[in-house]
Amino acid sequence: MSGPIERILVYIDGTEESLTAAQYAIMLSKSVGAMLYGTFIVNTHALNDLLKSHIFVESEQVEYQRDLEEDAGKYLNHFETMAASKGISVQILQESGIVHVKLKEMIREYDIDLLVVGELSRIRSRRDEFLNETERAMRNAPCSVLVVKDEDRVWDLFEHGR
Amino acid sequence: MALIDLITRDVVKVPLESTSKEDVFHELVDLLLKAGKISDPDKIYDALISREQLFSTALEDGIAIPHAKTEYVDSLIMALGIAPQGIDADALDGKPSHLFFLILAPPSQSGQHIEALTEIARATKSSSFRRLLMTSRTPDEVLELIVDS
Repeated sequence: MSGPIERILVYIDGTEESLTAAQYAIMLSKSVGAMLYGTFIVNTHALNDLLKSHIFVESEQVEYQRDLEEDAGKYLNHFETMAASKGISVQILQESGIVHVKLKEMIREYDIDLLVVGELSRIRSRRDEFLNETERAMRNAPCSVLVVKDEDRVWDLFEHGR
Repeated sequence: MALIDLITRDVVKVPLESTSKEDVFHELVDLLLKAGKISDPDKIYDALISREQLFSTALEDGIAIPHAKTEYVDSLIMALGIAPQGIDADALDGKPSHLFFLILAPPSQSGQHIEALTEIARATKSSSFRRLLMTSRTPDEVLELIVDS
């Protein structure tokens, strides 16, 4: 019999919150026996915008894209290692483009049941509400979304859970 | 990271006293030093000037976003200077620059650096936001505007 959660996707962007989300997703996947995917999306859309608006010169765009790709590899490897430590094998998806659009595409392509994201930063200005990529992903995801909170509790669960 | 988390009262200078681009850089770097955000102002200034030599960071509509990636900061930091009188900073449109958003990030925080630059670019697209910022008289007024924007 299939359960309500068969395929989980966790969005990792290098923040502490997203790494906590990754730990929770690993434990959840282990608990419910779901397949686990992890993604890091290099925001090339933002880089292109910075070039178009002349804030970046071309050499900076190339340099920052390379930095972000290295970050993506580093964080996805870390995710894979964390999962392996719990006996979970994961599929990692390194992508580039507009973050919330790419997430939506991946959710459809891999038939994801649950998107797991890190805690959102506190909304301190009206603009935050519209610009935060995690916020946008939550609003646009065509599947259920789980926002992981309480870093200490998750850390404890991950460290001491089997 | 939200703009409002980066801009605190102690890193806002209004009005700027400088009358040249280089002096604005010095003035804002000094502000960061006084706020305890940096410890080696000369290295920071050099990093800003090196980036400036590639292409002017003074854009259009009175906005300048001097920025640099440097190992001489531990985290993403920012200073904001407002020059109501306008300063010739080699802007793309040839007009005087009034709002100087100075951003510095360590090499390990490219993602946050890009987010901050993107947020400034988006925020300053609004002509009313620019106008209100340019006529702000105190750091508190500036912070209030950023929260309300």
